[in-house]
Amino acid sequence: MACLSIDSVSKFFGGHKALDDVTFSVNEGELVGLIGPNGSGKTTLLNILSGYLSADSGDIVLDGRPITGLRPEALARLGVLRMFQLTRVFPRMSVLDNLLVTGSALGLPEAEADGRARELIEDLTLTRMMHLDAGQLSGGQRKLLEFGSCFMVPPRIALLDEPFAAVHPTMKEIMAGVIRRRHAAGQTFLLVSHDMPVIVELCPRAICMNAGAVIADEKTRAVLTDPVVIEAYLGEAAA
Amino acid sequence: MAVTFNDTRMRDRIQLVFSLGIFALVALLPAIVRNEYWQGVLIVSMYFAMLAAAWNLLAGYTGQFSLAPAAFGMIGAYVTGLLSYHFNAPPLVGIPAAVVVSAAIGFGLGRIVLRLRGPYLALTTLSFAEICRLVISNSIEITRGDLGLSVPGIFDHRLTWYYVMLGVLVVIQLGLYFLLRAPAGLYLRAIRDDEIAAASRGVKIVLWKTNAFTLSAAISGLAGALYGHFAQFVSPELGLLSQTGIIVSMVVIGGLATLPGPIGGAFLVYVASEFLRDFGGYQLIVFALLVIIFARFFREGLWGFFRRAIERTGRRPAPAPSAAE
Repeated sequence: MACLSIDSVSKFFGGHKALDDVTFSVNEGELVGLIGPNGSGKTTLLNILSGYLSADSGDIVLDGRPITGLRPEALARLGVLRMFQLTRVFPRMSVLDNLLVTGSALGLPEAEADGRARELIEDLTLTRMMHLDAGQLSGGQRKLLEFGSCFMVPPRIALLDEPFAAVHPTMKEIMAGVIRRRHAAGQTFLLVSHDMPVIVELCPRAICMNAGAVIADEKTRAVLTDPVVIEAYLGEAAA
Repeated sequence: MAVTFNDTRMRDRIQLVFSLGIFALVALLPAIVRNEYWQGVLIVSMYFAMLAAAWNLLAGYTGQFSLAPAAFGMIGAYVTGLLSYHFNAPPLVGIPAAVVVSAAIGFGLGRIVLRLRGPYLALTTLSFAEICRLVISNSIEITRGDLGLSVPGIFDHRLTWYYVMLGVLVVIQLGLYFLLRAPAGLYLRAIRDDEIAAASRGVKIVLWKTNAFTLSAAISGLAGALYGHFAQFVSPELGLLSQTGIIVSMVVIGGLATLPGPIGGAFLVYVASEFLRDFGGYQLIVFALLVIIFARFFREGLWGFFRRAIERTGRRPAPAPSAAE
Protein backbone atom coordinates (compact mmCIF):
# COMPACT_ATOMS: atom_id res chain seq x y z
CA MET A 1 0.00 0.00 0.00
CA ALA A 2 1.31 3.46 -0.95
CA CYS A 3 2.34 5.56 2.03
CA LEU A 4 3.26 8.57 -0.12
CA SER A 5 2.09 9.22 -3.68
CA ILE A 6 3.47 11.99 -5.85
CA ASP A 7 1.44 12.61 -8.98
CA SER A 8 2.60 14.89 -11.83
CA VAL A 9 4.28 17.45 -9.57
CA SER A 10 5.87 20.37 -11.41
CA LYS A 11 7.66 23.43 -10.13
CA PHE A 12 8.99 26.49 -11.96
CA PHE A 13 11.51 29.02 -10.68
CA GLY A 14 10.89 31.88 -13.09
CA GLY A 15 11.38 30.34 -16.53
CA HIS A 16 13.34 27.38 -15.19
CA LYS A 17 11.43 24.13 -14.79
CA ALA A 18 12.88 22.69 -11.57
CA LEU A 19 10.46 19.75 -11.41
CA ASP A 20 8.92 18.26 -14.52
CA ASP A 21 5.84 16.11 -14.00
CA VAL A 22 7.40 14.05 -11.20
CA THR A 23 5.39 10.94 -10.44
CA PHE A 24 6.21 8.06 -8.11
CA SER A 25 5.05 6.52 -4.88
CA VAL A 26 6.70 5.12 -1.79
CA ASN A 27 5.06 2.08 -0.24
CA GLU A 28 4.57 1.46 3.45
CA GLY A 29 7.83 0.22 4.98
CA GLU A 30 9.92 0.94 1.87
CA LEU A 31 13.37 2.49 1.94
CA VAL A 32 13.74 4.35 -1.34
CA GLY A 33 16.95 6.03 -2.46
CA LEU A 34 16.55 9.27 -4.40
CA ILE A 35 19.63 9.98 -6.49
CA GLY A 36 20.62 12.30 -9.29
CA PRO A 37 23.30 14.83 -10.20
CA ASN A 38 23.40 18.24 -8.52
CA GLY A 39 20.57 20.47 -9.68
CA SER A 40 18.39 17.54 -10.70
CA GLY A 41 15.53 18.65 -8.40
CA LYS A 42 15.90 16.25 -5.44
CA THR A 43 15.99 18.95 -2.76
CA THR A 44 13.25 20.96 -4.50
CA LEU A 45 11.07 17.86 -4.37
CA LEU A 46 11.85 17.36 -0.67
CA ASN A 47 11.07 21.04 -0.05
CA ILE A 48 7.65 20.52 -1.64
CA LEU A 49 7.03 17.26 0.23
CA SER A 50 7.86 18.95 3.54
CA GLY A 51 5.82 22.10 2.88
CA TYR A 52 8.62 24.65 2.34
CA LEU A 53 7.71 25.16 -1.31
CA SER A 54 4.38 24.80 -3.03
CA ALA A 55 4.03 22.83 -6.23
CA ASP A 56 2.81 24.72 -9.29
CA SER A 57 0.82 21.66 -10.32
CA GLY A 58 0.32 18.06 -9.28
CA ASP A 59 -0.87 16.25 -6.20
CA ILE A 60 0.76 14.71 -3.16
CA VAL A 61 -1.10 12.15 -1.07
CA LEU A 62 -0.05 10.72 2.31
CA ASP A 63 -1.95 7.66 3.54
CA GLY A 64 -4.79 8.45 1.13
CA ARG A 65 -5.06 12.06 2.30
CA PRO A 66 -4.14 14.97 0.01
CA ILE A 67 -1.35 16.99 1.62
CA THR A 68 -0.46 19.34 -1.23
CA GLY A 69 0.13 22.86 0.06
CA LEU A 70 0.07 22.02 3.77
CA ARG A 71 2.46 24.00 5.98
CA PRO A 72 5.65 22.36 7.33
CA GLU A 73 4.37 22.14 10.92
CA ALA A 74 1.11 20.53 9.78
CA LEU A 75 3.05 18.00 7.71
CA ALA A 76 5.35 17.26 10.64
CA ARG A 77 2.28 16.55 12.75
CA LEU A 78 1.07 14.14 10.07
CA GLY A 79 4.40 12.34 10.34
CA VAL A 80 6.38 13.84 7.46
CA LEU A 81 9.70 14.52 9.21
CA ARG A 82 12.60 15.94 7.34
CA MET A 83 16.36 16.26 7.68
CA PHE A 84 17.89 19.17 5.75
CA GLN A 85 20.90 19.05 3.45
CA LEU A 86 22.45 22.02 5.28
CA THR A 87 22.19 21.00 8.91
CA ARG A 88 19.53 22.76 10.94
CA VAL A 89 19.67 22.46 14.72
CA PHE A 90 18.86 24.94 17.51
CA PRO A 91 22.39 26.20 18.31
CA ARG A 92 21.59 27.90 21.63
CA MET A 93 19.68 24.95 23.06
CA SER A 94 21.16 21.81 24.59
CA VAL A 95 21.28 18.54 22.66
CA LEU A 96 18.60 17.15 24.96
CA ASP A 97 16.35 20.20 24.45
CA ASN A 98 16.83 20.00 20.69
CA LEU A 99 15.19 16.58 20.79
CA LEU A 100 12.59 17.58 23.38
CA VAL A 101 11.34 20.34 21.05
CA THR A 102 10.29 17.70 18.51
CA GLY A 103 8.89 15.36 21.14
CA SER A 104 6.78 18.04 22.82
CA ALA A 105 5.66 19.67 19.57
CA LEU A 106 4.51 16.30 18.25
CA GLY A 107 2.47 15.63 21.36
CA LEU A 108 4.58 13.36 23.57
CA PRO A 109 3.99 13.78 27.31
CA GLU A 110 7.00 15.39 29.03
CA ALA A 111 8.29 12.24 30.77
CA GLU A 112 7.94 10.09 27.64
CA ALA A 113 9.66 12.74 25.49
CA ASP A 114 12.52 12.88 27.98
CA GLY A 115 12.90 9.09 27.99
CA ARG A 116 12.88 8.83 24.20
CA ALA A 117 15.32 11.71 23.83
CA ARG A 118 17.79 10.04 26.19
CA GLU A 119 17.45 6.71 24.34
CA LEU A 120 18.12 8.43 21.02
CA ILE A 121 21.07 10.33 22.45
CA GLU A 122 22.55 7.02 23.55
CA ASP A 123 21.84 5.39 20.16
CA LEU A 124 23.58 8.30 18.43
CA THR A 125 26.52 8.20 20.88
CA LEU A 126 25.92 11.79 21.95
CA THR A 127 25.56 11.04 25.67
CA ARG A 128 28.66 13.03 26.68
CA MET A 129 27.34 16.08 24.82
CA MET A 130 23.76 15.80 26.08
CA HIS A 131 23.85 19.07 28.01
CA LEU A 132 26.05 21.00 25.59
CA ASP A 133 24.47 23.60 23.35
CA ALA A 134 24.03 22.25 19.82
CA GLY A 135 26.16 25.17 18.61
CA GLN A 136 29.10 23.66 20.48
CA LEU A 137 28.93 20.35 18.56
CA SER A 138 31.07 19.43 15.55
CA GLY A 139 29.46 19.44 12.09
CA GLY A 140 29.06 15.66 12.12
CA GLN A 141 27.54 15.63 15.62
CA ARG A 142 25.04 18.27 14.52
CA LYS A 143 24.07 16.04 11.60
CA LEU A 144 23.55 13.16 14.04
CA LEU A 145 21.40 15.39 16.24
CA GLU A 146 19.22 16.57 13.38
CA PHE A 147 18.97 12.98 12.16
CA GLY A 148 17.82 11.96 15.66
CA SER A 149 15.14 14.66 15.68
CA CYS A 150 13.38 12.83 12.85
CA PHE A 151 12.87 9.80 15.10
CA MET A 152 11.68 11.32 18.38
CA VAL A 153 8.22 10.23 17.30
CA PRO A 154 8.14 7.41 14.73
CA PRO A 155 7.49 9.25 11.45
CA ARG A 156 5.08 8.07 8.77
CA ILE A 157 7.88 8.87 6.35
CA ALA A 158 11.36 10.21 7.04
CA LEU A 159 12.74 12.47 4.32
CA LEU A 160 16.52 12.44 4.71
CA ASP A 161 18.41 14.90 2.53
CA GLU A 162 22.09 13.97 2.28
CA PRO A 163 22.52 12.67 5.83
CA PHE A 164 25.93 11.19 5.02
CA ALA A 165 27.47 14.23 3.32
CA ALA A 166 30.73 15.40 4.94
CA VAL A 167 30.46 13.23 8.06
CA HIS A 168 33.04 10.94 9.61
CA PRO A 169 32.67 7.25 8.60
CA THR A 170 31.91 6.32 12.22
CA MET A 171 28.98 8.73 12.34
CA LYS A 172 27.87 7.58 8.90
CA GLU A 173 27.78 4.02 10.22
CA ILE A 174 25.77 5.13 13.27
CA MET A 175 23.14 6.73 11.03
CA ALA A 176 23.14 3.80 8.62
CA GLY A 177 22.65 1.46 11.58
CA VAL A 178 19.64 3.40 12.82
CA ILE A 179 18.16 3.45 9.30
CA ARG A 180 18.74 -0.29 8.91
CA ARG A 181 17.13 -1.15 12.26
CA ARG A 182 14.15 1.13 11.76
CA HIS A 183 13.62 -0.06 8.20
CA ALA A 184 13.63 -3.66 9.47
CA ALA A 185 10.96 -2.57 11.95
CA GLY A 186 8.77 -1.26 9.11
CA GLN A 187 9.74 2.44 8.97
CA THR A 188 9.28 4.19 5.60
CA PHE A 189 12.14 6.31 4.20
CA LEU A 190 12.98 8.51 1.25
CA LEU A 191 16.75 8.90 1.33
CA VAL A 192 18.60 11.43 -0.83
CA SER A 193 22.30 10.72 -1.15
CA HIS A 194 25.26 10.91 -3.50
CA ASP A 195 26.92 8.08 -1.58
CA MET A 196 26.26 5.20 -3.97
CA PRO A 197 27.75 2.38 -1.86
CA VAL A 198 25.40 3.36 1.00
CA ILE A 199 22.44 3.65 -1.35
CA VAL A 200 23.21 0.19 -2.76
CA GLU A 201 23.60 -1.28 0.71
CA LEU A 202 20.54 0.33 2.30
CA CYS A 203 17.96 0.90 -0.41
CA PRO A 204 16.33 -2.00 -2.27
CA ARG A 205 14.78 0.53 -4.67
CA ALA A 206 16.15 3.76 -6.14
CA ILE A 207 14.75 6.63 -8.14
CA CYS A 208 17.03 8.75 -10.28
CA MET A 209 16.17 12.30 -11.25
CA ASN A 210 17.78 14.49 -13.86
CA ALA A 211 16.82 18.01 -14.98
CA GLY A 212 13.72 17.90 -12.75
CA ALA A 213 12.34 14.63 -14.15
CA VAL A 214 12.37 11.03 -12.97
CA ILE A 215 14.57 9.10 -15.42
CA ALA A 216 14.71 5.74 -13.65
CA ASP A 217 12.69 3.99 -10.93
CA GLU A 218 13.46 0.34 -10.22
CA LYS A 219 15.73 -1.92 -8.17
CA THR A 220 18.81 -0.02 -7.05
CA ARG A 221 21.40 -2.12 -8.90
CA ALA A 222 19.34 -1.88 -12.08
CA VAL A 223 19.10 1.89 -11.74
CA LEU A 224 22.85 2.25 -11.26
CA THR A 225 23.61 0.22 -14.39
CA ASP A 226 20.97 1.99 -16.48
CA PRO A 227 22.75 3.78 -19.39
CA VAL A 228 20.38 6.78 -19.03
CA VAL A 229 21.42 7.16 -15.39
CA ILE A 230 25.11 6.76 -16.19
CA GLU A 231 24.75 9.37 -18.91
CA ALA A 232 23.05 11.77 -16.50
CA TYR A 233 25.88 11.39 -14.00
CA LEU A 234 28.92 11.06 -16.24
CA GLY A 235 27.89 12.40 -19.65
CA GLU A 236 27.09 10.81 -22.99
CA ALA A 237 30.59 9.41 -23.66
CA ALA A 238 30.54 7.32 -20.50
CA ALA A 239 27.15 5.85 -21.30
CA MET B 1 30.39 19.29 42.03
CA ALA B 2 31.27 21.82 39.36
CA VAL B 3 28.61 24.40 38.63
CA THR B 4 27.57 24.00 35.01
CA PHE B 5 25.55 26.38 32.88
CA ASN B 6 25.28 23.94 30.01
CA ASP B 7 22.01 22.40 31.05
CA THR B 8 19.21 24.74 30.00
CA ARG B 9 17.08 23.99 33.04
CA MET B 10 19.96 24.45 35.44
CA ARG B 11 20.84 27.69 33.64
CA ASP B 12 17.28 29.01 34.06
CA ARG B 13 17.19 27.92 37.71
CA ILE B 14 20.45 29.70 38.53
CA GLN B 15 19.21 32.78 36.72
CA LEU B 16 15.96 32.72 38.68
CA VAL B 17 17.90 32.47 41.95
CA PHE B 18 19.95 35.48 40.88
CA SER B 19 16.80 37.41 39.99
CA LEU B 20 15.32 36.60 43.39
CA GLY B 21 18.59 37.82 44.92
CA ILE B 22 18.20 41.14 43.09
CA PHE B 23 14.60 41.38 44.32
CA ALA B 24 15.68 40.65 47.90
CA LEU B 25 18.27 43.40 47.64
CA VAL B 26 15.70 45.81 46.22
CA ALA B 27 13.26 44.88 49.01
CA LEU B 28 15.89 45.85 51.58
CA LEU B 29 16.92 49.09 49.88
CA PRO B 30 14.30 51.36 51.54
CA ALA B 31 16.09 50.66 54.83
CA ILE B 32 18.98 52.67 53.39
CA VAL B 33 17.27 54.80 50.76
CA ARG B 34 14.89 56.84 52.88
CA ASN B 35 14.69 59.78 50.50
CA GLU B 36 11.29 59.77 48.74
CA TYR B 37 12.77 61.09 45.52
CA TRP B 38 15.20 58.17 45.26
CA GLN B 39 12.48 55.73 46.27
CA GLY B 40 10.55 57.17 43.31
CA VAL B 41 13.55 56.59 41.07
CA LEU B 42 13.60 52.93 42.15
CA ILE B 43 9.85 52.61 41.49
CA VAL B 44 10.31 53.97 37.97
CA SER B 45 13.23 51.52 37.58
CA MET B 46 10.75 48.74 38.37
CA TYR B 47 8.41 50.07 35.66
CA PHE B 48 11.30 49.86 33.21
CA ALA B 49 12.26 46.42 34.54
CA MET B 50 8.75 45.16 33.66
CA LEU B 51 9.02 46.64 30.16
CA ALA B 52 12.54 45.21 29.78
CA ALA B 53 11.41 41.74 30.93
CA ALA B 54 8.50 41.88 28.45
CA TRP B 55 10.76 42.94 25.59
CA ASN B 56 13.30 40.28 26.53
CA LEU B 57 10.60 37.62 26.19
CA LEU B 58 9.99 38.78 22.64
CA ALA B 59 13.47 39.73 21.44
CA GLY B 60 15.68 37.60 23.69
CA TYR B 61 13.73 34.36 23.91
CA THR B 62 11.69 34.42 20.70
CA GLY B 63 14.06 36.36 18.42
CA GLN B 64 11.43 38.94 17.44
CA PHE B 65 13.23 42.29 17.49
CA SER B 66 10.26 44.59 18.10
CA LEU B 67 10.77 48.32 18.51
CA ALA B 68 7.42 48.88 20.18
CA PRO B 69 7.87 48.05 23.90
CA ALA B 70 7.49 51.68 25.01
CA ALA B 71 4.41 52.05 22.79
CA PHE B 72 2.69 49.20 24.63
CA GLY B 73 3.58 50.81 27.96
CA MET B 74 2.03 54.02 26.66
CA ILE B 75 -1.09 52.18 25.44
CA GLY B 76 -1.55 50.58 28.87
CA ALA B 77 -1.11 53.92 30.61
CA TYR B 78 -3.60 55.63 28.30
CA VAL B 79 -6.25 52.89 28.57
CA THR B 80 -6.52 53.28 32.33
CA GLY B 81 -5.97 57.05 32.06
CA LEU B 82 -8.76 57.54 29.50
CA LEU B 83 -11.17 55.25 31.37
CA SER B 84 -10.54 57.24 34.51
CA TYR B 85 -10.69 60.66 32.78
CA HIS B 86 -13.82 60.08 30.73
CA PHE B 87 -15.74 57.50 32.78
CA ASN B 88 -14.34 57.85 36.29
CA ALA B 89 -13.42 54.18 36.12
CA PRO B 90 -11.47 53.08 39.19
CA PRO B 91 -7.94 51.63 38.78
CA LEU B 92 -9.36 48.19 39.58
CA VAL B 93 -11.19 48.43 36.27
CA GLY B 94 -8.63 50.52 34.40
CA ILE B 95 -5.58 48.34 35.04
CA PRO B 96 -7.14 45.01 33.91
CA ALA B 97 -8.62 46.85 30.92
CA ALA B 98 -5.13 48.17 30.08
CA VAL B 99 -3.77 44.62 30.14
CA VAL B 100 -6.58 43.29 27.95
CA VAL B 101 -6.41 46.12 25.38
CA SER B 102 -2.59 45.99 25.20
CA ALA B 103 -2.73 42.21 24.77
CA ALA B 104 -5.35 42.52 22.02
CA ILE B 105 -3.29 45.13 20.16
CA GLY B 106 -0.17 42.99 20.68
CA PHE B 107 -2.05 40.02 19.25
CA GLY B 108 -3.03 42.09 16.18
CA LEU B 109 0.51 43.40 15.69
CA GLY B 110 1.86 39.86 16.11
CA ARG B 111 -0.40 38.60 13.32
CA ILE B 112 0.58 41.49 11.03
CA VAL B 113 4.34 41.01 11.43
CA LEU B 114 4.19 37.21 11.48
CA ARG B 115 6.14 36.72 8.27
CA LEU B 116 8.57 39.59 8.82
CA ARG B 117 12.10 39.15 10.08
CA GLY B 118 15.13 41.25 10.97
CA PRO B 119 15.10 44.85 9.74
CA TYR B 120 11.59 44.53 8.24
CA LEU B 121 10.15 43.45 11.58
CA ALA B 122 12.01 46.22 13.40
CA LEU B 123 10.86 48.89 10.93
CA THR B 124 7.23 47.73 10.98
CA THR B 125 7.04 47.71 14.77
CA LEU B 126 8.79 51.08 14.86
CA SER B 127 6.19 52.48 12.44
CA PHE B 128 3.41 51.00 14.58
CA ALA B 129 4.88 52.63 17.70
CA GLU B 130 5.14 56.03 16.03
CA ILE B 131 1.61 55.80 14.61
CA CYS B 132 0.25 55.01 18.10
CA ARG B 133 2.13 57.94 19.63
CA LEU B 134 1.04 60.35 16.90
CA VAL B 135 -2.60 59.24 17.11
CA ILE B 136 -2.60 59.85 20.88
CA SER B 137 -0.71 63.09 20.45
CA ASN B 138 -3.14 64.43 17.82
CA SER B 139 -6.45 63.18 19.25
CA ILE B 140 -6.63 66.27 21.41
CA GLU B 141 -10.36 66.08 22.12
CA ILE B 142 -10.05 62.60 23.53
CA THR B 143 -6.53 62.45 24.95
CA ARG B 144 -5.73 66.18 25.45
CA GLY B 145 -2.79 65.56 23.12
CA ASP B 146 0.65 66.59 24.30
CA LEU B 147 -0.85 68.19 27.41
CA GLY B 148 -1.28 64.70 28.80
CA LEU B 149 -3.88 63.35 31.18
CA SER B 150 -4.13 63.49 34.93
CA VAL B 151 -4.62 60.03 36.38
CA PRO B 152 -5.73 59.32 39.95
CA GLY B 153 -3.20 57.76 42.29
CA ILE B 154 -3.88 54.54 44.18
CA PHE B 155 -1.70 54.55 47.29
CA ASP B 156 -0.83 57.47 49.51
CA HIS B 157 2.48 56.17 50.68
CA ARG B 158 5.46 55.83 48.42
CA LEU B 159 6.65 52.71 50.21
CA THR B 160 3.32 51.01 49.49
CA TRP B 161 3.87 51.75 45.81
CA TYR B 162 7.40 50.49 46.16
CA TYR B 163 6.42 47.08 47.45
CA VAL B 164 3.38 46.70 45.18
CA MET B 165 5.56 47.36 42.12
CA LEU B 166 8.19 44.96 43.46
CA GLY B 167 5.52 42.31 44.10
CA VAL B 168 4.18 42.65 40.54
CA LEU B 169 7.73 42.44 39.17
CA VAL B 170 8.40 39.26 41.16
CA VAL B 171 5.17 37.70 39.88
CA ILE B 172 6.09 38.61 36.28
CA GLN B 173 9.56 37.13 36.69
CA LEU B 174 8.25 33.91 38.24
CA GLY B 175 5.66 33.68 35.47
CA LEU B 176 8.37 34.05 32.82
CA TYR B 177 10.51 31.42 34.55
CA PHE B 178 7.68 28.87 34.60
CA LEU B 179 6.82 29.71 31.00
CA LEU B 180 10.43 29.03 29.96
CA ARG B 181 10.48 25.74 31.88
CA ALA B 182 7.32 24.57 30.12
CA PRO B 183 7.24 23.23 26.53
CA ALA B 184 6.30 26.78 25.49
CA GLY B 185 9.80 27.87 26.49
CA LEU B 186 11.29 25.22 24.21
CA TYR B 187 9.12 26.36 21.30
CA LEU B 188 9.97 30.06 21.73
CA ARG B 189 13.71 29.35 21.89
CA ALA B 190 13.46 27.00 18.91
CA ILE B 191 11.73 29.73 16.88
CA ARG B 192 14.46 32.16 17.90
CA ASP B 193 17.27 29.80 16.89
CA ASP B 194 15.85 28.56 13.59
CA GLU B 195 12.26 29.15 12.56
CA ILE B 196 12.49 26.79 9.56
CA ALA B 197 13.87 23.96 11.68
CA ALA B 198 11.23 24.61 14.36
CA ALA B 199 8.42 24.31 11.79
CA SER B 200 9.90 21.10 10.39
CA ARG B 201 9.77 19.60 13.89
CA GLY B 202 6.10 20.45 14.32
CA VAL B 203 6.29 23.71 16.30
CA LYS B 204 3.25 25.88 15.57
CA ILE B 205 5.10 29.01 14.51
CA VAL B 206 2.06 31.25 14.02
CA LEU B 207 0.59 30.32 17.41
CA TRP B 208 3.77 30.76 19.46
CA LYS B 209 4.96 33.94 17.80
CA THR B 210 1.53 35.47 18.31
CA ASN B 211 1.46 34.26 21.92
CA ALA B 212 4.84 35.87 22.55
CA PHE B 213 3.68 39.20 21.09
CA THR B 214 0.43 39.06 23.07
CA LEU B 215 2.06 38.21 26.40
CA SER B 216 4.84 40.75 25.96
CA ALA B 217 2.28 43.47 25.13
CA ALA B 218 0.10 42.50 28.11
CA ILE B 219 3.05 42.79 30.53
CA SER B 220 4.04 46.13 28.99
CA GLY B 221 0.44 47.36 29.23
CA LEU B 222 0.30 46.37 32.90
CA ALA B 223 3.59 48.20 33.54
CA GLY B 224 2.31 51.31 31.77
CA ALA B 225 -0.99 51.30 33.66
CA LEU B 226 0.76 50.97 37.02
CA TYR B 227 3.19 53.71 36.08
CA GLY B 228 0.32 56.00 35.05
CA HIS B 229 -1.34 55.66 38.45
CA PHE B 230 1.98 56.06 40.23
CA ALA B 231 3.00 59.21 38.31
CA GLN B 232 -0.65 60.39 38.25
CA PHE B 233 0.04 61.64 34.76
CA VAL B 234 0.36 60.10 31.33
CA SER B 235 1.60 61.75 28.14
CA PRO B 236 2.61 60.64 24.62
CA GLU B 237 6.23 60.97 25.75
CA LEU B 238 5.88 57.52 27.31
CA GLY B 239 5.92 56.10 23.79
CA LEU B 240 8.92 58.01 22.45
CA LEU B 241 11.48 56.01 20.53
CA SER B 242 14.09 57.18 23.04
CA GLN B 243 12.14 55.27 25.71
CA THR B 244 12.39 52.13 23.59
CA GLY B 245 16.12 52.86 23.22
CA ILE B 246 16.46 52.92 27.00
CA ILE B 247 14.58 49.62 27.34
CA VAL B 248 16.77 47.97 24.68
CA SER B 249 19.93 49.28 26.36
CA MET B 250 18.74 47.93 29.73
CA VAL B 251 18.31 44.45 28.27
CA VAL B 252 21.50 44.43 26.22
CA ILE B 253 23.63 45.77 29.08
CA GLY B 254 22.03 43.42 31.63
CA GLY B 255 22.04 40.38 29.36
CA LEU B 256 19.72 39.56 26.45
CA ALA B 257 17.89 36.23 26.73
CA THR B 258 18.64 35.90 30.43
CA LEU B 259 16.23 36.21 33.34
CA PRO B 260 18.19 38.54 35.65
CA GLY B 261 19.69 40.64 32.80
CA PRO B 262 16.73 42.94 32.07
CA ILE B 263 15.99 43.40 35.79
CA GLY B 264 19.56 44.25 36.78
CA GLY B 265 20.01 46.31 33.61
CA ALA B 266 16.85 48.34 34.31
CA PHE B 267 17.96 49.33 37.81
CA LEU B 268 21.51 50.02 36.70
CA VAL B 269 20.65 52.10 33.64
CA TYR B 270 17.80 54.08 35.19
CA VAL B 271 19.64 54.88 38.42
CA ALA B 272 22.76 55.78 36.40
CA SER B 273 20.65 58.00 34.15
CA GLU B 274 19.55 59.90 37.26
CA PHE B 275 23.18 60.53 38.14
CA LEU B 276 23.87 61.60 34.55
CA ARG B 277 20.78 63.83 34.42
CA ASP B 278 22.91 66.97 34.67
CA PHE B 279 24.59 66.06 31.40
CA GLY B 280 21.27 66.29 29.54
CA GLY B 281 21.24 64.46 26.19
CA TYR B 282 24.74 63.11 26.78
CA GLN B 283 23.33 60.38 29.03
CA LEU B 284 21.72 58.77 25.99
CA ILE B 285 25.06 58.87 24.18
CA VAL B 286 26.69 57.08 27.13
CA PHE B 287 24.06 54.30 27.07
CA ALA B 288 24.21 54.03 23.28
CA LEU B 289 27.98 53.57 23.48
CA LEU B 290 27.56 50.97 26.21
CA VAL B 291 25.05 49.09 24.06
CA ILE B 292 27.51 49.08 21.14
CA ILE B 293 30.34 47.83 23.38
CA PHE B 294 28.21 45.13 25.01
CA ALA B 295 26.65 44.01 21.73
CA ARG B 296 30.10 43.78 20.11
CA PHE B 297 32.22 42.33 22.91
CA PHE B 298 29.97 41.05 25.72
CA ARG B 299 26.97 39.37 24.11
CA GLU B 300 25.74 38.03 27.46
CA GLY B 301 25.83 41.48 29.05
CA LEU B 302 26.65 41.87 32.71
CA TRP B 303 25.08 38.47 33.39
CA GLY B 304 27.94 36.95 31.37
CA PHE B 305 30.47 38.28 33.89
CA PHE B 306 28.50 36.75 36.77
CA ARG B 307 28.15 33.47 34.92
CA ARG B 308 31.86 33.18 34.28
CA ALA B 309 32.64 34.10 37.90
CA ILE B 310 30.27 31.40 39.20
CA GLU B 311 31.69 28.82 36.79
CA ARG B 312 35.23 29.66 37.90
CA THR B 313 34.19 29.24 41.53
CA GLY B 314 32.52 25.93 40.73
CA ARG B 315 35.60 24.60 38.92
CA ARG B 316 38.02 25.53 41.71
CA PRO B 317 39.44 22.26 43.09
CA ALA B 318 38.56 21.32 46.64
CA PRO B 319 41.33 22.17 49.14
CA ALA B 320 43.80 19.34 49.64
CA PRO B 321 43.34 17.43 52.88
CA SER B 322 45.74 18.59 55.59
CA ALA B 323 48.63 16.42 56.77
CA ALA B 324 46.83 15.80 60.06
CA GLU B 325 43.96 14.14 58.17
